[in-house]
Amino acid sequence: MTLSTKLMIYGQAVDSRLLIGSALYPSPEIMKQAILASGAKVVTLSLKRQNPAQQSGAKIWQYIQDLVKETQGFLLPNTAGCKTAKEAVTLAKMSREIFQTDWIKLEVIGDDYNLQPDPIELLKASEQLLNEGFKVLPYCTDDLVVCQRLYDLGCQVIMPWASPIGTGKGLMNPYNLATIRSRLPDVTLILDAGIGKPSDACLAMEMGYDAVLLNSAIALADNPMLMAKAFAQAIVAGEQGYMAGVMQQRQTAHPSTPTLETPFWHQ
Amino acid sequence: MNTKATNVTYFINGQGITSINPDISMALQYYLTSEQQQQSFAVALNGDFVGKAYYQKTIINPGDSIDVLFPIQGG
Repeated sequence: MTLSTKLMIYGQAVDSRLLIGSALYPSPEIMKQAILASGAKVVTLSLKRQNPAQQSGAKIWQYIQDLVKETQGFLLPNTAGCKTAKEAVTLAKMSREIFQTDWIKLEVIGDDYNLQPDPIELLKASEQLLNEGFKVLPYCTDDLVVCQRLYDLGCQVIMPWASPIGTGKGLMNPYNLATIRSRLPDVTLILDAGIGKPSDACLAMEMGYDAVLLNSAIALADNPMLMAKAFAQAIVAGEQGYMAGVMQQRQTAHPSTPTLETPFWHQ
Repeated sequence: MNTKATNVTYFINGQGITSINPDISMALQYYLTSEQQQQSFAVALNGDFVGKAYYQKTIINPGDSIDVLFPIQGG
């Protein structure tokens, strides 16, 4: 992250460093109000089967379309639920036709228990999709080597997890996340999944991450609109803290108040 | 040239359907409500994406599986 620049996603400047999911809200109206309150310009969504008796999906889609139009934002379809590269590639192509975007949040899950990404299938799918002109935003673990491989393939954005999806456990391994930042200074890093509190997002931004993507922490809050504002402010605070340059930690105490001319009780 | 009428059993979103010499366009007209046909959706045949331009050209064979997917909320 560099001073005075906007978040860049494959050359597209984005006005907010908070990316937000559209799922799990108590109602479509609360979803809309929370997303507006967050100031986010990128909204994630997905594709699923819908039998002829169901009509709820169409209403949600209309809400999201209206919202993105109103905010002049961007759609970011995901490949949630895919377990193989082939499934993810097919879903990405279906998403591109519907949503008219090359952006794809690439999820390939390797374990049903903690929804951990499968690095082998993720790399395969990333390579194929990049070759077919997609702008891939891969969701991965905080594994430096996997991130390096994704970068080598041509991913300009990489999205390591903070912790497993929906857990709200925050940054499980700050050391790994900081290492990825320092070793891949030129890639756009977006912390994705597992964030629970605004302070988690602030911490990621203080590390120099470019943005944060979250959903549950806002959607499942008692007051999603207020939590959306809190995250927006936390992300700005963390970004400014990083840019301002954090002081070095010291092993010993140093008085803040000058010690010269100390009054009588020290004489 | 006459095409022999053949009953074909296939699956859309897991539901078994039998019809005569179906292509994807016919299958969608049969499966989706008229309202759904006006909505945004995308199609895969046996796990491979099929673009809208190919619906009428893509013949369905016995046992084929079609997925019709619609936009929903996601994280």
